[in-house]
Order: sequence, then structure tokens, then C-alpha cells
Amino acid sequence: MAKWGMVIDLDKCTGCQACTTACGMENNTLPGENWQDVLYYSEGEYPSGQMKWLPRPCMQCEDPSCVHVCPTRATYKDEAAGGIVFVDWNKCIGCKYCMIACPYGVRFYADEKPLVEPDLKSIFPGENGQLWSPPYQGPDEDWRRGIGIQPKGVVSKCTFCYHRVSKAPEGVADLDEDDPELVEFVPACVRTCPPKARYFGDLDNPQSNVNRLIGNKRGVRLRDETGNRPQVYYLGAGAGVPAFQRRERS
Amino acid sequence: MTNSNVMKGGAGTVLLVLSLLVMVAGFGYAAFSLSAHGHAAFNASSNVPWGQPISTYLYFALASSGLGLLAAIPLVFRVKAYYPVAKRCVFLAFIVLISGMAVLAMELGHTFRMIWAIPFGMQIESAMFWMGVLYLLDLIFLLWKFQRLEGKDWDSKTAKQIGVASFLGVLLASGNLALIFGMMSMRPFWFDGSLPIYFYLTGITSGMAALVFYTYLAYGFKREAMPEPLQRLLTGNLPVLFAALLGVTLLFILVRMVTGLYSNMPEVHLVWSDYILTSPVYHLSLWGGLVLPFLLLLSRNLRVQPGVQVLCAMLVFAGLFAERYYFVVGGQVIPLFKGTWAWDIVHYTPSAAEWSLTLMGAAMIFVLYVLGEKYFNLSDTPADITAPEPSGATAKVTA
Repeated sequence: MAKWGMVIDLDKCTGCQACTTACGMENNTLPGENWQDVLYYSEGEYPSGQMKWLPRPCMQCEDPSCVHVCPTRATYKDEAAGGIVFVDWNKCIGCKYCMIACPYGVRFYADEKPLVEPDLKSIFPGENGQLWSPPYQGPDEDWRRGIGIQPKGVVSKCTFCYHRVSKAPEGVADLDEDDPELVEFVPACVRTCPPKARYFGDLDNPQSNVNRLIGNKRGVRLRDETGNRPQVYYLGAGAGVPAFQRRERS
Repeated sequence: MTNSNVMKGGAGTVLLVLSLLVMVAGFGYAAFSLSAHGHAAFNASSNVPWGQPISTYLYFALASSGLGLLAAIPLVFRVKAYYPVAKRCVFLAFIVLISGMAVLAMELGHTFRMIWAIPFGMQIESAMFWMGVLYLLDLIFLLWKFQRLEGKDWDSKTAKQIGVASFLGVLLASGNLALIFGMMSMRPFWFDGSLPIYFYLTGITSGMAALVFYTYLAYGFKREAMPEPLQRLLTGNLPVLFAALLGVTLLFILVRMVTGLYSNMPEVHLVWSDYILTSPVYHLSLWGGLVLPFLLLLSRNLRVQPGVQVLCAMLVFAGLFAERYYFVVGGQVIPLFKGTWAWDIVHYTPSAAEWSLTLMGAAMIFVLYVLGEKYFNLSDTPADITAPEPSGATAKVTA
């Protein structure tokens, strides 16, 4: 069984947010409920001031703290599904402990005040147990893996687009959007990335391109000091998270 | 003696009706808001997932644990001077915990699912799993202990064993509750192995405040109406213990504050410097709710005054409620890996629905308390300590 991993080349990433948009469209997330986001950081002052950005999906950690804290096993790491961390919406009690425990802030409790106005939950009220029911919905739904539109009172997160990835041929080393045979199985954020800054493949396959990139280009994991060991690696300059600092209101 | 308990009469009935009305109103408003708006009725968000309902639950759960620890003074450590408050401590510990759990139940996304999902999940790695197990055991032991006391079984071998089991249950439950926060290395404001000690101290302090307040309330705030052993305790070493607990609580808060301010880490330093210590409410609660009662109770003359004791209890209620609030929210106000999307400390103030849950919980305590005073003799003591014992009590406690 594969161990799915993602590699993000920050020297190629332009911070365009196409990945964020594609993720929202693919997974029917609410505005602001960004399973995939690009975080911007500004550091320093003129003349050495800099702006950096980090695309941030769920890290699908090898040792995920969210899984350890979940009192019902609603959050679980599915090794048989490539090591993806899922939320079982049938078991989640909405205690939000996983949101406290995730060092990467990738989890959302969409049953809350809208993060971005207008509130689409009031424009498209939920039906059939859904938190909201937009006119267009993706065809895939699997509440045991947190796929589809979530019900009320549960936590949601990136699934590495498991509904696509799971249909890939067995034993494939990489899911490359340039390969017409595989393009339909590539996660939405990877497929849409204009500068091709994202790569997706099997971390357990020595022949995979993602492993080659990590090895040759010195891939790093964010906040590795947490011990969570993400399955998402970053290449290039700027793969660090600056410390929080308050900004002056303008 | 029990006739002097005003809760058994009309005053108790009035308080019962009033608190029942507040409880129903609080529950009704929260339930209506939740059904109309879902959890959008709360101001907690994905940036601050745990808001005031969680801090209220924490406050009640730890006050319950504090009462349980106070009950252990007579029932485990056999300090006879504390027998007059033992039964009320056990009862209050039970009802305060029940009220805290009611608040928590209203906060969760799927409360009833918890009933099967936690036991079937058996996720023993989760401190929250253990919170469920240990507080359930705590409730059972409290109820069992109360049932033995109601049967006037104070000193049998079984009563002692239940007392010890309950004491251990309280220590484990509140210690584990601390670790829910204290084990979160990704939340440096909370990450602290000594947090159980902090929770024990603040818990027993808020338990003491509850004990003093509800004991006086039972007798219409008139100490002369109380049984003699109870009067002796309230003029003896109980206020001294109250002062000592407040002193140690303040010391612990000071130590956390100093280490936090000394640290360069923004997740700790900024929480103290730019969130907690810039809040007028925090200062009011710290100086008025903890320091002032501590100073009042330090005075040998003042600390035995019934009015001062009740005032201190009420101030400590407010002081420690705020302490819990700033502890819970403070651990989340520095945005976690959000970049410039969240460029300042996260702003959170409780919504009306969140306040209504706090009110509901507090009113529920009053409802259950009056019922308890009406239907049980919470001032009951073993027969052998009802006789005057002017010089022995203090000696036994300090021994």
C-alpha cells in the first residue's frame, strides 16, 4: 500500500491561491474554511524586508497529535488509504480537541459564525443533514472519511482528495497531472497548480519522483520539532514558519 | 438544629423558584439560539475553538474537585473539626459537577453521540477519554459516599474505603483535566507538567468559596443559627485554611505570570503582556477577586466575621471564574499557523448564548442545592462531635 506524500516547491510557488480555490470547488468547503490555504508572512523592514508564503494543506502527519487526542477515534490515520488522516463524521462529537492539538491549524469547525461574508449557510440552508446545501455538489460523499459536505457539529479537514486518489491504479509511484492516464486521480490542488510547484506520490516507493525531490533538493517538513512528522515536504528557500508578531493597525 | 436551616422554609422555596426560572430561561435561550443558528450562536470559532462554555465547565468541574478534596479532610484524613461540613461538601461536589457537565453537554456538537462513541472508541491515548471515565467514577463515588453519609455511616470500614476511593478519584479526575491542557506542546501557554498542581490549588480554593457561601446561605447568613460545631469551625481554622489556599493560588499565578513574561516565546509572552495584563477585567478579577479576599482573610479580626467570609467567598467566585476564562482563552489567542490572515491577537468575547449557558449552569447549582437542603440534612455530623469541643478541634487539625 502506498504512503501518499506531497512535495511543494516554494521556489516555484507564486502564492496565487489557485490551489485554495480548486480545493474549495472540489470539496465544497465554505468560504474561509480553507482545507488548503496559502499563508503569507512578512518579515523584517526595508531594505531587508521580505514577503514569503507557504501553501498549507493538511500535513497528514505520520504521528498525528489530532489522532491521539480524539476521544472517540473519529479522527484516525488510515494506513490502508495511504496514511491519510480522516475525520469520521458519524463519530465526531464536535469537542474540537483535535483543533486544539493540531500544530498546523488545518482543521475547521464550519458550524460557526461565517469566516467570510456573506454567510453561504443562510443563502443555501442545509438539507438532508448537511450543514449547507449549495446548488452544485461534488458527486462523492463518504462521511466515514469526511468527504462531501459535512453535517452540523463536526470538524472537517483536507483529505488529500481521497475520493480521487483512491481510484488510482495500484502500485503507481507518482500521480502526475501531466500523465493523461493519471490526471483524474491527482488531488485538486496539485492538478491546478499553474507553476507546477506541487508533486504527489508514494513516499514508500523508492522510485517515486517525490522521494527523489525530497532527497535531491533537501526537502524539509514544517515545524518538525512538534514530532508529528508530516507527509508534506517543502523544497526551496523560505520553508520556515516565522514567529508570530503583532502588526500595527493601519 | 435543622429547623434553623432557612432553605427548608419559604426562603428556600423562593430561591428554588427564582433559580429554576433563571435556569429554564438560560437553557431556553441557549437551546433556541443553537436550534436557530447552530453553533454560530457562539463566538467561539476555528481560531478560538474553546470559549466561555468550556471555561465554565472547567470552573465547575474544578470547584467540584475542590469540594471533593475538602470532604477528604474529615472523611479520609479524619480531621474531626471538619465533620460539620463533610456532608455538604460531598453534596455540593456532586451538584456542581452535574451542572458543569450540563454546560459541557450544551457546548458539544453531538452530545448524545458521545454516550456511545467514547466507550466504543476506547481511545485510551486521549486525555479526554480519561476525563469521561474519571469524572464518571468521581460522580459514582460521590453519590455512593453521600448515600453512606445519609445512612449515618461515617466510620465503617466500607465508608472509609469509599472515602479513600473518592479522594483518589478526585485527584485523578482533576489532574487529568489539567493534562488535557498541560500535555498540548503545540499550545505553549498551557504546556506545563505542573498544571495539575495549579488545578488542585485553584480548584480547592473555589471549592472552599462555594462551601463557605452555601453554608452561610443555608442559615440565612446568620452564624448564630448554625450548629455549634459548625460555628466553631467557621471561627476556627477554616478561614485560616481559606486564606492559605488563596495565598498559594496567588503564588502560583504569580509564578506563571513571571515565567510567561520572562519568556521570549510570543505564544506565552504576548498572552501575558498583550492579552491578559492589558485586560481591565483581568485586573479587576485578580486584585478584587483574589488579592483583596486574601488580604481580608489575613486579618485575625476580619476573617472570623460572617460578612467578610461571605464577601470573600463571592469575590473568589468571580476571581477564579475569570482566572479560568483567561486560562482557557489565553491558550488560543495567538493565531496558530495562520500567517498574516490573522495578523493580530485573536479577539474573542462570549456571545449572549454562551453567557446564557454560564447562567444556566450557575442557576442549576442553586436549584439542586435548595432541593438538597430541603430533602437532606446536609449539616449532619457523627453523634460524637456534636458535643462542645472548644480546645480540641484546632489541635487536631494542626496536628
